[in-house]
Amino acid sequence: MLELNNLHAHVVPEDGPSREILKGLSLAVPAGEVHAIMGPNGSGKSTLSYVLTGKHGYDVTGGSATFDGTDLLSLEPEVRAAKGLFLSFQYPLEIAGVPVMTFVRAAMNAQRKARGEPEVSAPEFLKLSKLAATKLRIDSDMLKRPLNVGFSGGEKKRLEIYQMLMLQPRFMILDETDSGLDIDALKVVAEGVNALRGAGRGMLVITHYQRLLDYIKPDRVHILSAGRIVKSGGPDLALELEKSGYDQFLKVD
Amino acid sequence: MDLADLPSRRTEAWKWSDLRAAMSNQESVLIGTGAMPAEGPIAALAEMFGDGYGASALVVEAPGDTFESGITEGDAGQYGSVIVKAGATATMIERIGVSGSRLRPFLPAYARIEIEPGAALHRIVMQANSAPADERDAAIVLNEVVVKLGEGASFRQFVVAEGSRLTRIETSVTAAGGAVVEMNAVYLAAANRHVDLTSRVAHAAPGVHTRQLVRGVARKGGRGVFQGKFLVERAGQKTDAEMAHNALLLEEGAEVFAKPELEIYADDVACAHGNTAGQIDEDAVFYLRQRGIPDIEARAMITRAFLLEALPDWIDEAVRAEVEMRIDAWLGGTS
Repeated sequence: MLELNNLHAHVVPEDGPSREILKGLSLAVPAGEVHAIMGPNGSGKSTLSYVLTGKHGYDVTGGSATFDGTDLLSLEPEVRAAKGLFLSFQYPLEIAGVPVMTFVRAAMNAQRKARGEPEVSAPEFLKLSKLAATKLRIDSDMLKRPLNVGFSGGEKKRLEIYQMLMLQPRFMILDETDSGLDIDALKVVAEGVNALRGAGRGMLVITHYQRLLDYIKPDRVHILSAGRIVKSGGPDLALELEKSGYDQFLKVD
Repeated sequence: MDLADLPSRRTEAWKWSDLRAAMSNQESVLIGTGAMPAEGPIAALAEMFGDGYGASALVVEAPGDTFESGITEGDAGQYGSVIVKAGATATMIERIGVSGSRLRPFLPAYARIEIEPGAALHRIVMQANSAPADERDAAIVLNEVVVKLGEGASFRQFVVAEGSRLTRIETSVTAAGGAVVEMNAVYLAAANRHVDLTSRVAHAAPGVHTRQLVRGVARKGGRGVFQGKFLVERAGQKTDAEMAHNALLLEEGAEVFAKPELEIYADDVACAHGNTAGQIDEDAVFYLRQRGIPDIEARAMITRAFLLEALPDWIDEAVRAEVEMRIDAWLGGTS
């Protein structure tokens, strides 16, 4: 479903020289599978999520990324979103003056329009929203407030998953979704994520710690170091990492 | 009075809005006698060119009155004075319209407003410019009110302005004890438009509560000017005043000039001011696009929300809808 082949990417800061972060990353996530990417700070985890979703400030210098066989890298971010790519942000942005529900409905309809589907009706939208909010134990008042403004770290993460449930993406990238969550919130969020596992969907769970993977069980685990996958394995690999740390995998070169 | 008497960029209060330069092609109509009056250039020009200026005084005695006035090309008539009697309330809506560049419209208006003790006035000014955004129109819009607030009276104003070759909307308020002042505004400066919002609030007695939030956007070739001054006189103890001006420069080549000023002579006051001018947060735009909202719409959504924060909650629904429509049209038509 998602295939990355020898991907090279630079981060291009507004001030200062560009640096290569991804140095030949290859990875394949077939439909129906959940893959975890683990790695130490600075290994390129967030860069990977931004390159895949098309954020400004990153320059792909080599290799390819395809989604269902389509070249992902040439598409605008909103086109990638309409194709079903969703990023749960590590640091969700605050959007002043735009209420959560107004925003999600606009996003939903923009995606539908891009796919040539009819708009969601108001009652249908409200029904979906209520279901998602109940599942994630989100207070309905929160959905009327401006997006993420004044929300706690945990509330923001919960709201990312709310958006995911509403937009029903086909491929999800979860960037450090566990950070800022206590154990109860983590379980609620994991439940929401697991509800989206299924035959036609893929998922990339980017995380620092094994903890999240107790609740979102991956099919495969990859270790990212210095911009490359240095080891891949089954779910056990995450446990091994937790026990003995990253060091054993970082001395590859 | 002739052209040389008009303020130019060498005049401190007009340094970003060079009236003399803007009027230089209208010299032939500037025939006046005598020196510049103490009320200043807008009052002088309104007296010379505003049909019926000063002829009509409006007196509001009953609570809840709403009256509308408008000045448009060829009709620069305006109330010269407004009195809101003690205990009365009124809403005043002024529409200033500019529609093209051929007429060289010149729209000066000047009024004195007196709000007696305990009375309340809501004033809405909508200055629109429906000439094509890229057209260099010649309209000069000058609008000034001088407001005197009695004890416990309130003056709440909202201005939305799109500018012209030169537009200046000026508000001067002198507030007595316990008065409430609110002066929010939104400006939208497209290419070749100049919008100047200048204001001054004198806190002349204790316990005046003042809030001012001005939000503006400018595109390439557009220019926004905000000059806001809060003066707290020695007698103005317990003044509670906040001023904020925030602008978004939507394109390279957009210009915003701001001069927020606090001048305080009392020692027991709470006064604050904030002033920012910057670009739209690209990370926020990306966040919206990642959810599927196209680039142009994402920018419009963020900008719209930014502007609407200055829209006061006392504005009734019909006017609110009109303002929102105007903002949407501006954002949609020029993005």
